[in-house]
Amino acid sequence: MGVIGVAEDQFMRFLAAWALVHETADEGWKAAVARGAEQETGSMEAGPEAFVDGLSAMIAEEKERLKAALASGEVEAPGSKADVGSQLDDLLFEVRELRGRLESMQTTLDAVLSDDEDHGVK
Amino acid sequence: MSRRTRVITRTFARHWARALPQARFGFAPRATRRAAFARATRLALEDLGPAFIKLGQVASVRPDLVPPEYVFEFEQLQDRVPPLPAERIATVIRHELGRPLAELFDDFETEPIAAASIAQVHRARLAREVRPVIGDVMPAGTPVAIKVVRPGAAQVIAADLPEARRLLSRLDRLGLSRWIDAPALLEEFAASLASELDLRNEGRVSDRFAHDFRDDACIMTPRIAWSHTSRSVLTMEYVEGWRLTEIDDAARAGVDAFHLALHGATVFMKQVLVLGRYHADLHPANLFVTPDSRICYLDFGIVGTTEREERINIAQVLAATVYGDADRALCYSAKLGLEVPEHKRADVRQRVGELMDRTLNVPGRPADVKGFATGFLSVMADARVPIPAGYGLLVKALVTVEGVARAIYPDIDITRAAKPFATRLIAQQMMRPDRIADRVPAALRAAIRELVS
Repeated sequence: MGVIGVAEDQFMRFLAAWALVHETADEGWKAAVARGAEQETGSMEAGPEAFVDGLSAMIAEEKERLKAALASGEVEAPGSKADVGSQLDDLLFEVRELRGRLESMQTTLDAVLSDDEDHGVK
Repeated sequence: MSRRTRVITRTFARHWARALPQARFGFAPRATRRAAFARATRLALEDLGPAFIKLGQVASVRPDLVPPEYVFEFEQLQDRVPPLPAERIATVIRHELGRPLAELFDDFETEPIAAASIAQVHRARLAREVRPVIGDVMPAGTPVAIKVVRPGAAQVIAADLPEARRLLSRLDRLGLSRWIDAPALLEEFAASLASELDLRNEGRVSDRFAHDFRDDACIMTPRIAWSHTSRSVLTMEYVEGWRLTEIDDAARAGVDAFHLALHGATVFMKQVLVLGRYHADLHPANLFVTPDSRICYLDFGIVGTTEREERINIAQVLAATVYGDADRALCYSAKLGLEVPEHKRADVRQRVGELMDRTLNVPGRPADVKGFATGFLSVMADARVPIPAGYGLLVKALVTVEGVARAIYPDIDITRAAKPFATRLIAQQMMRPDRIADRVPAALRAAIRELVS
Protein backbone atom coordinates (compact mmCIF):
# COMPACT_ATOMS: atom_id res chain seq x y z
CA MET A 1 0.00 0.00 0.00
CA GLY A 2 1.45 3.35 -1.05
CA VAL A 3 1.47 6.67 0.80
CA ILE A 4 -1.82 7.67 -0.88
CA GLY A 5 -3.48 4.42 0.28
CA VAL A 6 -2.42 5.04 3.89
CA ALA A 7 -3.67 8.63 3.70
CA GLU A 8 -7.00 7.44 2.22
CA ASP A 9 -7.34 4.87 5.00
CA GLN A 10 -6.74 7.53 7.67
CA PHE A 11 -9.16 9.90 5.97
CA MET A 12 -11.86 7.21 5.80
CA ARG A 13 -11.20 6.36 9.46
CA PHE A 14 -11.57 10.02 10.38
CA LEU A 15 -14.91 10.25 8.52
CA ALA A 16 -16.05 7.02 10.16
CA ALA A 17 -15.15 8.48 13.55
CA TRP A 18 -17.07 11.63 12.66
CA ALA A 19 -20.12 9.59 11.58
CA LEU A 20 -19.91 7.55 14.76
CA VAL A 21 -19.74 10.68 16.94
CA HIS A 22 -22.72 12.06 15.07
CA GLU A 23 -24.74 8.86 15.35
CA THR A 24 -23.97 8.39 19.05
CA ALA A 25 -24.74 12.04 19.80
CA ASP A 26 -28.00 11.79 17.85
CA GLU A 27 -29.12 8.71 19.74
CA GLY A 28 -28.07 10.30 23.03
CA TRP A 29 -29.95 13.47 22.13
CA LYS A 30 -33.16 11.62 21.23
CA ALA A 31 -32.99 9.61 24.43
CA ALA A 32 -32.40 12.78 26.51
CA VAL A 33 -35.37 14.51 24.83
CA ALA A 34 -37.57 11.49 25.51
CA ARG A 35 -36.50 11.34 29.16
CA GLY A 36 -36.94 15.11 29.55
CA ALA A 37 -40.42 15.03 27.99
CA GLU A 38 -41.50 12.45 30.55
CA GLN A 39 -40.28 14.54 33.49
CA GLU A 40 -42.83 16.00 35.84
CA THR A 41 -42.72 19.64 36.99
CA GLY A 42 -39.80 20.16 39.33
CA SER A 43 -37.93 16.99 38.28
CA MET A 44 -35.16 19.01 36.60
CA GLU A 45 -33.63 19.74 39.98
CA ALA A 46 -32.97 16.05 40.71
CA GLY A 47 -29.37 16.42 39.48
CA PRO A 48 -27.19 17.40 36.53
CA GLU A 49 -28.45 14.55 34.31
CA ALA A 50 -32.09 15.37 34.98
CA PHE A 51 -31.26 19.01 34.27
CA VAL A 52 -29.71 18.15 30.88
CA ASP A 53 -32.70 15.93 30.03
CA GLY A 54 -35.14 18.72 30.93
CA LEU A 55 -33.11 21.27 28.98
CA SER A 56 -33.03 18.93 25.95
CA ALA A 57 -36.81 18.62 26.06
CA MET A 58 -37.16 22.41 26.26
CA ILE A 59 -34.82 22.82 23.26
CA ALA A 60 -36.79 20.19 21.33
CA GLU A 61 -40.01 22.13 22.01
CA GLU A 62 -38.33 25.33 20.86
CA LYS A 63 -37.13 23.50 17.74
CA GLU A 64 -40.70 22.43 16.93
CA ARG A 65 -41.88 26.03 17.38
CA LEU A 66 -39.07 27.22 15.10
CA LYS A 67 -40.04 24.60 12.48
CA ALA A 68 -43.65 25.74 12.61
CA ALA A 69 -42.62 29.39 12.36
CA LEU A 70 -40.32 28.65 9.40
CA ALA A 71 -43.10 26.73 7.67
CA SER A 72 -45.49 29.67 8.11
CA GLY A 73 -42.84 32.20 7.01
CA GLU A 74 -42.91 34.09 10.34
CA VAL A 75 -39.16 33.95 10.93
CA GLU A 76 -37.10 36.49 9.06
CA ALA A 77 -33.37 37.12 8.91
CA PRO A 78 -31.65 40.08 10.60
CA GLY A 79 -32.26 43.22 8.56
CA SER A 80 -35.57 41.76 7.39
CA LYS A 81 -38.94 43.48 7.70
CA ALA A 82 -39.59 42.15 11.23
CA ASP A 83 -36.14 43.20 12.44
CA VAL A 84 -36.48 46.67 10.94
CA GLY A 85 -40.01 46.84 12.36
CA SER A 86 -38.73 46.26 15.88
CA GLN A 87 -36.01 48.90 15.45
CA LEU A 88 -38.60 51.33 14.09
CA ASP A 89 -40.79 50.60 17.09
CA ASP A 90 -37.96 51.54 19.45
CA LEU A 91 -37.16 54.66 17.45
CA LEU A 92 -40.80 55.68 17.39
CA PHE A 93 -40.91 55.32 21.17
CA GLU A 94 -37.84 57.57 21.54
CA VAL A 95 -39.51 60.21 19.35
CA ARG A 96 -42.79 60.00 21.26
CA GLU A 97 -40.93 60.16 24.57
CA LEU A 98 -39.17 63.29 23.31
CA ARG A 99 -42.54 64.77 22.34
CA GLY A 100 -43.78 64.07 25.88
CA ARG A 101 -40.76 65.88 27.35
CA LEU A 102 -41.28 68.84 25.02
CA GLU A 103 -44.97 69.07 25.94
CA SER A 104 -44.08 69.07 29.63
CA MET A 105 -41.37 71.70 29.08
CA GLN A 106 -43.81 73.83 27.08
CA THR A 107 -46.31 73.61 29.96
CA THR A 108 -43.64 74.71 32.45
CA LEU A 109 -42.55 77.53 30.15
CA ASP A 110 -46.17 78.72 29.76
CA ALA A 111 -46.54 78.62 33.54
CA VAL A 112 -43.40 80.71 34.08
CA LEU A 113 -44.54 83.25 31.44
CA SER A 114 -48.02 83.40 32.93
CA ASP A 115 -46.47 83.97 36.40
CA ASP A 116 -44.39 86.81 34.97
CA GLU A 117 -47.50 88.41 33.42
CA ASP A 118 -49.32 88.11 36.76
CA HIS A 119 -46.43 89.95 38.39
CA GLY A 120 -46.30 92.58 35.62
CA VAL A 121 -42.88 91.52 34.20
CA LYS A 122 -42.49 92.28 30.46
CA MET B 1 -28.97 68.69 73.21
CA SER B 2 -31.75 70.39 71.19
CA ARG B 3 -35.43 69.84 71.96
CA ARG B 4 -35.89 67.78 68.80
CA THR B 5 -32.89 65.60 69.63
CA ARG B 6 -34.41 64.93 73.05
CA VAL B 7 -37.73 63.94 71.42
CA ILE B 8 -35.93 61.59 69.02
CA THR B 9 -33.87 59.99 71.78
CA ARG B 10 -36.93 59.56 74.04
CA THR B 11 -38.99 58.04 71.19
CA PHE B 12 -36.36 55.41 70.39
CA ALA B 13 -35.74 54.71 74.09
CA ARG B 14 -39.48 54.24 74.75
CA HIS B 15 -39.99 51.78 71.87
CA TRP B 16 -36.78 49.86 72.53
CA ALA B 17 -37.66 49.55 76.22
CA ARG B 18 -41.02 48.05 75.21
CA ALA B 19 -39.16 45.53 73.02
CA LEU B 20 -37.03 44.29 75.94
CA PRO B 21 -39.61 41.83 77.39
CA GLN B 22 -40.22 40.41 73.89
CA ALA B 23 -36.47 39.95 73.51
CA ARG B 24 -36.46 38.37 77.01
CA PHE B 25 -33.97 41.04 78.07
CA GLY B 26 -31.42 39.75 75.61
CA PHE B 27 -31.86 36.03 76.40
CA ALA B 28 -34.27 35.21 73.55
CA PRO B 29 -32.89 33.45 70.44
CA ARG B 30 -31.10 35.86 68.13
CA ALA B 31 -33.84 35.90 65.46
CA THR B 32 -36.55 36.73 68.05
CA ARG B 33 -34.33 39.41 69.60
CA ARG B 34 -33.58 41.05 66.28
CA ALA B 35 -37.24 40.89 65.15
CA ALA B 36 -38.39 42.56 68.40
CA PHE B 37 -35.93 45.47 68.05
CA ALA B 38 -36.64 45.83 64.33
CA ARG B 39 -40.36 46.24 65.10
CA ALA B 40 -39.63 48.74 67.87
CA THR B 41 -37.41 50.75 65.53
CA ARG B 42 -40.13 50.78 62.86
CA LEU B 43 -42.69 52.09 65.35
CA ALA B 44 -40.24 54.78 66.50
CA LEU B 45 -39.63 55.89 62.90
CA GLU B 46 -43.40 56.12 62.31
CA ASP B 47 -43.78 58.28 65.42
CA LEU B 48 -40.94 60.61 64.38
CA GLY B 49 -42.56 61.64 61.10
CA PRO B 50 -41.81 62.03 57.37
CA ALA B 51 -37.99 62.34 57.37
CA PHE B 52 -37.55 59.23 59.50
CA ILE B 53 -40.25 57.32 57.62
CA LYS B 54 -38.50 58.12 54.32
CA LEU B 55 -35.16 57.10 55.81
CA GLY B 56 -36.69 53.79 56.87
CA GLN B 57 -38.24 53.29 53.44
CA VAL B 58 -34.87 53.87 51.79
CA ALA B 59 -33.31 51.37 54.20
CA SER B 60 -36.06 48.86 53.37
CA VAL B 61 -34.65 48.34 49.87
CA ARG B 62 -30.99 48.24 50.92
CA PRO B 63 -30.13 44.91 52.57
CA ASP B 64 -26.52 45.75 51.81
CA LEU B 65 -26.69 48.60 54.37
CA VAL B 66 -28.95 47.33 57.17
CA PRO B 67 -29.64 43.87 58.69
CA PRO B 68 -32.28 41.71 56.95
CA GLU B 69 -34.75 41.72 59.87
CA TYR B 70 -34.88 45.52 59.67
CA VAL B 71 -35.20 45.50 55.88
CA PHE B 72 -38.32 43.34 55.98
CA GLU B 73 -39.80 45.20 58.96
CA PHE B 74 -39.26 48.64 57.41
CA GLU B 75 -41.20 47.71 54.28
CA GLN B 76 -44.31 47.95 56.46
CA LEU B 77 -43.67 51.64 57.25
CA GLN B 78 -46.85 53.58 56.69
CA ASP B 79 -46.35 57.01 55.22
CA ARG B 80 -49.75 58.60 55.92
CA VAL B 81 -50.23 62.24 56.83
CA PRO B 82 -53.34 64.43 57.10
CA PRO B 83 -54.16 65.78 53.62
CA LEU B 84 -53.61 69.42 52.68
CA PRO B 85 -56.77 71.42 51.78
CA ALA B 86 -57.70 71.06 48.10
CA GLU B 87 -57.34 74.85 47.57
CA ARG B 88 -53.62 74.65 48.34
CA ILE B 89 -53.23 71.76 45.88
CA ALA B 90 -55.20 73.73 43.25
CA THR B 91 -52.80 76.65 43.75
CA VAL B 92 -49.81 74.34 43.08
CA ILE B 93 -51.47 73.01 39.90
CA ARG B 94 -52.26 76.55 38.72
CA HIS B 95 -48.70 77.66 39.42
CA GLU B 96 -47.06 74.58 37.85
CA LEU B 97 -49.26 74.19 34.76
CA GLY B 98 -49.86 77.92 34.12
CA ARG B 99 -53.64 77.74 33.83
CA PRO B 100 -56.60 77.64 36.22
CA LEU B 101 -57.71 74.19 37.31
CA ALA B 102 -61.07 74.51 35.53
CA GLU B 103 -59.36 75.00 32.14
CA LEU B 104 -57.36 71.80 32.55
CA PHE B 105 -59.67 69.45 34.44
CA ASP B 106 -63.37 68.78 34.99
CA ASP B 107 -64.85 67.30 38.16
CA PHE B 108 -61.74 67.84 40.32
CA GLU B 109 -62.44 65.89 43.54
CA THR B 110 -61.48 67.87 46.61
CA GLU B 111 -61.13 64.72 48.73
CA PRO B 112 -57.72 63.16 47.91
CA ILE B 113 -57.49 59.44 47.09
CA ALA B 114 -54.05 59.26 48.77
CA ALA B 115 -51.98 61.57 50.98
CA ALA B 116 -48.35 60.90 51.89
CA SER B 117 -45.57 63.14 53.17
CA ILE B 118 -44.23 64.01 49.72
CA ALA B 119 -47.31 64.04 47.48
CA GLN B 120 -51.06 63.80 47.48
CA VAL B 121 -53.33 62.44 44.76
CA HIS B 122 -56.70 63.75 43.53
CA ARG B 123 -59.12 62.41 40.95
CA ALA B 124 -60.47 64.52 38.08
CA ARG B 125 -61.37 64.31 34.37
CA LEU B 126 -59.42 65.72 31.44
CA ALA B 127 -61.04 68.89 30.08
CA ARG B 128 -59.56 68.27 26.61
CA GLU B 129 -58.08 65.46 24.53
CA VAL B 130 -54.49 64.42 25.33
CA ARG B 131 -52.09 62.30 23.25
CA PRO B 132 -49.93 60.07 25.50
CA VAL B 133 -46.51 58.64 24.60
CA ILE B 134 -47.85 55.07 24.72
CA GLY B 135 -51.35 53.88 23.86
CA ASP B 136 -54.48 55.47 22.45
CA VAL B 137 -55.43 59.12 22.67
CA MET B 138 -57.14 60.02 25.96
CA PRO B 139 -60.32 61.87 24.98
CA ALA B 140 -61.81 64.77 26.96
CA GLY B 141 -63.57 63.32 30.01
CA THR B 142 -60.99 60.56 30.64
CA PRO B 143 -60.67 59.99 34.43
CA VAL B 144 -57.20 60.90 35.68
CA ALA B 145 -55.21 60.78 38.91
CA ILE B 146 -53.30 64.01 39.59
CA LYS B 147 -50.28 63.51 41.83
CA VAL B 148 -49.07 66.79 43.34
CA VAL B 149 -45.94 67.40 45.43
CA ARG B 150 -47.05 68.99 48.72
CA PRO B 151 -45.76 72.54 49.03
CA GLY B 152 -42.87 72.60 51.47
CA ALA B 153 -42.50 68.77 51.48
CA ALA B 154 -38.78 68.95 50.78
CA GLN B 155 -38.24 71.54 53.52
CA VAL B 156 -40.19 69.54 56.12
CA ILE B 157 -38.07 66.47 55.44
CA ALA B 158 -34.84 68.45 55.13
CA ALA B 159 -35.46 70.05 58.56
CA ASP B 160 -35.09 66.65 60.27
CA LEU B 161 -32.14 65.51 58.16
CA PRO B 162 -29.39 67.06 60.34
CA GLU B 163 -30.92 65.33 63.39
CA ALA B 164 -31.05 62.02 61.55
CA ARG B 165 -27.44 62.52 60.46
CA ARG B 166 -26.32 63.26 64.05
CA LEU B 167 -28.19 60.19 65.32
CA LEU B 168 -26.66 57.91 62.72
CA SER B 169 -23.14 59.20 63.34
CA ARG B 170 -23.64 58.57 67.07
CA LEU B 171 -24.69 55.00 66.23
CA ASP B 172 -21.55 54.81 64.13
CA ARG B 173 -19.40 55.89 67.10
CA LEU B 174 -21.08 53.27 69.30
CA GLY B 175 -19.70 50.64 66.93
CA LEU B 176 -23.00 49.88 65.16
CA SER B 177 -21.44 50.55 61.75
CA ARG B 178 -20.88 46.80 61.67
CA TRP B 179 -24.64 46.44 61.12
CA ILE B 180 -25.63 49.76 59.56
CA ASP B 181 -23.67 51.68 56.93
CA ALA B 182 -24.88 55.14 58.04
CA PRO B 183 -23.04 57.39 55.52
CA ALA B 184 -24.16 55.25 52.57
CA LEU B 185 -27.74 55.25 53.88
CA LEU B 186 -27.82 59.04 54.11
CA GLU B 187 -26.32 59.41 50.65
CA GLU B 188 -28.98 57.07 49.24
CA PHE B 189 -31.65 59.00 51.14
CA ALA B 190 -30.62 62.35 49.60
CA ALA B 191 -30.53 60.86 46.07
CA SER B 192 -33.88 59.13 46.51
CA LEU B 193 -35.51 62.30 47.85
CA ALA B 194 -34.26 64.41 44.94
CA SER B 195 -35.59 61.84 42.46
CA GLU B 196 -39.00 61.52 44.19
CA LEU B 197 -39.51 65.29 44.25
CA ASP B 198 -39.30 65.46 40.43
CA LEU B 199 -42.41 63.55 39.34
CA ARG B 200 -41.33 63.58 35.68
CA ASN B 201 -38.85 60.79 36.53
CA GLU B 202 -41.73 58.54 37.56
CA GLY B 203 -43.65 59.33 34.35
CA ARG B 204 -40.67 58.52 32.14
CA VAL B 205 -39.98 55.18 33.83
CA SER B 206 -43.67 54.31 33.58
CA ASP B 207 -43.67 55.02 29.82
CA ARG B 208 -40.51 52.95 29.34
CA PHE B 209 -42.08 50.05 31.24
CA ALA B 210 -45.20 50.29 29.06
CA HIS B 211 -42.99 50.19 25.94
CA ASP B 212 -41.00 47.20 27.22
CA PHE B 213 -44.22 45.24 27.79
CA ARG B 214 -46.20 46.55 24.81
CA ASP B 215 -46.73 43.02 23.49
CA ASP B 216 -47.90 41.62 26.83
CA ALA B 217 -51.69 41.74 27.03
CA CYS B 218 -51.65 40.98 30.79
CA ILE B 219 -49.58 44.02 31.80
CA MET B 220 -50.44 47.72 31.84
CA THR B 221 -49.33 51.04 33.29
CA PRO B 222 -51.42 54.23 33.37
CA ARG B 223 -50.97 56.52 30.36
CA ILE B 224 -49.23 59.80 31.22
CA ALA B 225 -50.69 63.18 30.15
CA TRP B 226 -47.42 65.04 29.55
CA SER B 227 -49.14 68.29 28.58
CA HIS B 228 -50.60 68.27 32.12
CA THR B 229 -47.34 67.28 33.83
CA SER B 230 -44.45 69.25 35.32
CA ARG B 231 -41.79 68.77 37.99
CA SER B 232 -44.37 68.87 40.82
CA VAL B 233 -47.54 67.66 39.04
CA LEU B 234 -47.97 64.26 37.37
CA THR B 235 -51.23 63.59 35.54
CA MET B 236 -51.93 59.97 34.67
CA GLU B 237 -54.86 57.86 33.60
CA TYR B 238 -56.99 56.69 36.54
CA VAL B 239 -57.14 52.91 36.50
CA GLU B 240 -60.11 51.11 38.02
CA GLY B 241 -59.27 47.85 39.72
CA TRP B 242 -58.73 45.92 42.89
CA ARG B 243 -55.82 46.44 45.25
CA LEU B 244 -54.06 43.24 46.23
CA THR B 245 -55.76 43.40 49.60
CA GLU B 246 -59.11 43.10 47.75
CA ILE B 247 -58.06 40.12 45.66
CA ASP B 248 -60.96 37.99 46.89
CA ASP B 249 -63.34 40.42 45.19
CA ALA B 250 -61.28 40.10 41.99
CA ALA B 251 -61.43 36.29 42.16
CA ARG B 252 -65.21 36.49 42.62
CA ALA B 253 -65.36 38.67 39.52
CA GLY B 254 -63.67 35.88 37.53
CA VAL B 255 -60.02 36.99 37.57
CA ASP B 256 -57.61 34.02 37.33
CA ALA B 257 -55.44 34.75 40.39
CA PHE B 258 -53.00 31.85 39.91
CA HIS B 259 -52.25 32.79 36.31
CA LEU B 260 -51.80 36.46 37.26
CA ALA B 261 -49.46 35.66 40.17
CA LEU B 262 -47.27 33.41 38.02
CA HIS B 263 -47.28 35.94 35.19
CA GLY B 264 -46.31 38.74 37.60
CA ALA B 265 -43.28 36.72 38.70
CA THR B 266 -42.37 36.00 35.06
CA VAL B 267 -42.58 39.72 34.25
CA PHE B 268 -40.07 40.40 37.02
CA MET B 269 -37.70 37.73 35.66
CA LYS B 270 -37.97 39.29 32.21
CA GLN B 271 -37.16 42.74 33.62
CA VAL B 272 -34.09 41.50 35.51
CA LEU B 273 -32.74 38.88 33.13
CA VAL B 274 -33.68 40.21 29.68
CA LEU B 275 -34.42 43.94 29.74
CA GLY B 276 -31.93 44.96 32.45
CA ARG B 277 -34.35 47.40 34.16
CA TYR B 278 -36.66 46.41 37.00
CA HIS B 279 -39.26 47.90 39.32
CA ALA B 280 -37.37 47.68 42.63
CA ASP B 281 -40.09 49.14 44.85
CA LEU B 282 -43.00 46.78 44.34
CA HIS B 283 -45.44 46.50 47.16
CA PRO B 284 -49.15 45.75 47.33
CA ALA B 285 -50.06 49.47 47.17
CA ASN B 286 -48.24 49.82 43.83
CA LEU B 287 -50.26 47.17 42.04
CA PHE B 288 -53.83 46.75 40.84
CA VAL B 289 -55.67 43.92 39.24
CA THR B 290 -58.03 45.26 36.58
CA PRO B 291 -61.48 43.84 35.75
CA ASP B 292 -60.10 42.59 32.39
CA SER B 293 -57.51 40.44 34.26
CA ARG B 294 -54.46 42.63 33.80
CA ILE B 295 -51.82 43.67 36.33
CA CYS B 296 -51.43 47.45 36.51
CA TYR B 297 -48.07 48.73 37.79
CA LEU B 298 -47.85 52.10 39.53
CA ASP B 299 -45.26 54.26 41.27
CA PHE B 300 -41.88 53.59 39.66
CA GLY B 301 -39.95 55.34 42.44
CA ILE B 302 -36.97 52.97 42.61
CA VAL B 303 -35.62 51.27 39.50
CA GLY B 304 -32.77 48.75 39.53
CA THR B 305 -30.58 48.07 36.52
CA THR B 306 -28.50 45.07 35.43
CA GLU B 307 -25.72 44.97 32.81
CA ARG B 308 -25.51 42.19 30.21
CA GLU B 309 -22.69 40.27 31.90
CA GLU B 310 -24.39 40.67 35.29
CA ARG B 311 -27.60 39.22 33.85
CA ILE B 312 -25.81 36.01 32.86
CA ASN B 313 -24.31 35.67 36.35
CA ILE B 314 -27.67 36.48 37.99
CA ALA B 315 -29.28 33.76 35.87
CA GLN B 316 -26.58 31.32 37.00
CA VAL B 317 -27.12 32.25 40.68
CA LEU B 318 -30.90 31.97 40.27
CA ALA B 319 -30.66 28.62 38.50
CA ALA B 320 -28.18 27.27 41.07
CA THR B 321 -30.39 28.51 43.91
CA VAL B 322 -33.66 27.10 42.61
CA TYR B 323 -31.92 23.78 41.79
CA GLY B 324 -30.29 23.74 45.26
CA ASP B 325 -26.62 23.92 44.17
CA ALA B 326 -24.87 25.99 46.88
CA ASP B 327 -21.37 25.72 45.35
CA ARG B 328 -22.50 27.05 42.02
CA ALA B 329 -24.62 29.81 43.62
CA LEU B 330 -21.62 31.06 45.63
CA CYS B 331 -19.27 30.76 42.65
CA TYR B 332 -21.45 33.00 40.45
CA SER B 333 -22.30 35.30 43.40
CA ALA B 334 -18.56 36.00 43.61
CA LYS B 335 -18.71 37.21 39.99
CA LEU B 336 -21.41 39.66 41.14
CA GLY B 337 -19.09 41.00 43.84
CA LEU B 338 -20.12 38.83 46.80
CA GLU B 339 -16.64 37.70 47.84
CA VAL B 340 -16.50 35.08 50.61
CA PRO B 341 -12.92 34.88 52.01
CA GLU B 342 -11.19 31.56 51.35
CA HIS B 343 -11.00 30.54 55.04
CA LYS B 344 -14.77 31.03 55.53
CA ARG B 345 -15.88 29.41 52.29
CA ALA B 346 -16.48 25.86 53.56
CA ASP B 347 -18.55 27.04 56.54
CA VAL B 348 -20.61 29.49 54.44
CA ARG B 349 -21.14 26.87 51.75
CA GLN B 350 -22.41 24.36 54.33
CA ARG B 351 -24.78 26.88 55.95
CA VAL B 352 -26.14 28.03 52.57
CA GLY B 353 -26.66 24.40 51.49
CA GLU B 354 -28.59 23.62 54.69
CA LEU B 355 -30.63 26.79 54.23
CA MET B 356 -31.55 25.76 50.68
CA ASP B 357 -32.71 22.36 51.95
CA ARG B 358 -34.79 24.00 54.70
CA THR B 359 -36.44 26.72 52.63
CA LEU B 360 -36.37 25.92 48.92
CA ASN B 361 -36.28 22.15 48.56
CA VAL B 362 -38.86 20.83 50.99
CA PRO B 363 -40.93 18.15 49.20
CA GLY B 364 -44.60 19.03 48.96
CA ARG B 365 -44.12 22.66 50.02
CA PRO B 366 -43.70 25.73 47.79
CA ALA B 367 -40.27 27.36 47.93
CA ASP B 368 -39.91 30.03 50.64
CA VAL B 369 -37.79 32.67 48.89
CA LYS B 370 -38.16 35.20 51.70
CA GLY B 371 -37.02 32.65 54.27
CA PHE B 372 -34.04 31.78 52.10
CA ALA B 373 -33.12 35.44 51.45
CA THR B 374 -33.35 36.40 55.13
CA GLY B 375 -31.23 33.42 56.11
CA PHE B 376 -28.73 34.01 53.30
CA LEU B 377 -28.23 37.66 54.25
CA SER B 378 -27.82 36.63 57.91
CA VAL B 379 -25.19 34.02 56.98
CA MET B 380 -23.29 36.71 55.06
CA ALA B 381 -23.67 39.22 57.93
CA ASP B 382 -22.38 36.63 60.45
CA ALA B 383 -19.41 35.90 58.20
CA ARG B 384 -18.83 39.69 57.81
CA VAL B 385 -19.16 39.41 54.04
CA PRO B 386 -20.23 42.78 52.59
CA ILE B 387 -23.24 42.63 50.25
CA PRO B 388 -22.79 44.62 47.01
CA ALA B 389 -25.52 47.27 46.58
CA GLY B 390 -26.96 45.85 43.33
CA TYR B 391 -26.97 42.32 44.74
CA GLY B 392 -28.85 43.46 47.85
CA LEU B 393 -31.42 45.40 45.85
CA LEU B 394 -32.04 42.37 43.66
CA VAL B 395 -32.46 39.98 46.59
CA LYS B 396 -34.92 42.39 48.19
CA ALA B 397 -36.82 42.82 44.92
CA LEU B 398 -37.08 39.04 44.46
CA VAL B 399 -38.49 38.66 47.97
CA THR B 400 -40.98 41.45 47.28
CA VAL B 401 -42.09 39.75 44.08
CA GLU B 402 -42.76 36.60 46.08
CA GLY B 403 -44.74 38.65 48.61
CA VAL B 404 -46.80 40.30 45.89
CA ALA B 405 -47.38 37.01 44.04
CA ARG B 406 -48.52 35.42 47.33
CA ALA B 407 -50.88 38.33 47.98
CA ILE B 408 -52.51 37.39 44.67
CA TYR B 409 -52.30 33.60 45.11
CA PRO B 410 -51.11 32.40 48.55
CA ASP B 411 -49.74 28.98 47.47
CA ILE B 412 -47.68 30.24 44.53
CA ASP B 413 -44.10 29.02 44.13
CA ILE B 414 -42.27 31.77 42.23
CA THR B 415 -39.31 29.52 41.47
CA ARG B 416 -41.64 27.94 38.90
CA ALA B 417 -41.32 31.21 36.96
CA ALA B 418 -37.58 31.53 37.62
CA LYS B 419 -36.56 28.06 36.43
CA PRO B 420 -37.42 28.23 32.72
CA PHE B 421 -36.11 31.80 32.44
CA ALA B 422 -32.77 31.04 34.05
CA THR B 423 -32.40 27.80 32.08
CA ARG B 424 -33.06 29.54 28.75
CA LEU B 425 -30.64 32.34 29.50
CA ILE B 426 -27.89 29.91 30.45
CA ALA B 427 -28.55 27.94 27.27
CA GLN B 428 -28.26 31.14 25.24
CA GLN B 429 -24.99 31.90 26.98
CA MET B 430 -23.70 28.44 26.11
CA MET B 431 -24.49 29.13 22.44
CA ARG B 432 -22.36 32.28 22.26
CA PRO B 433 -19.91 31.85 19.32
CA ASP B 434 -16.85 32.79 21.41
CA ARG B 435 -17.79 30.22 24.04
CA ILE B 436 -18.39 27.52 21.42
CA ALA B 437 -15.08 28.36 19.71
CA ASP B 438 -13.38 28.00 23.11
CA ARG B 439 -14.92 24.68 24.00
CA VAL B 440 -15.61 22.71 20.80
CA PRO B 441 -11.98 21.76 19.92
CA ALA B 442 -11.40 20.36 23.42
CA ALA B 443 -14.74 18.53 23.34
CA LEU B 444 -13.97 17.00 19.92
CA ARG B 445 -10.51 15.89 21.04
CA ALA B 446 -12.06 14.26 24.11
CA ALA B 447 -14.73 12.52 22.00
CA ILE B 448 -12.21 11.14 19.50
CA ARG B 449 -9.90 10.02 22.31
CA GLU B 450 -12.88 8.18 23.80
CA LEU B 451 -13.74 6.53 20.46
CA VAL B 452 -10.25 5.39 19.53
CA SER B 453 -9.25 4.23 23.02
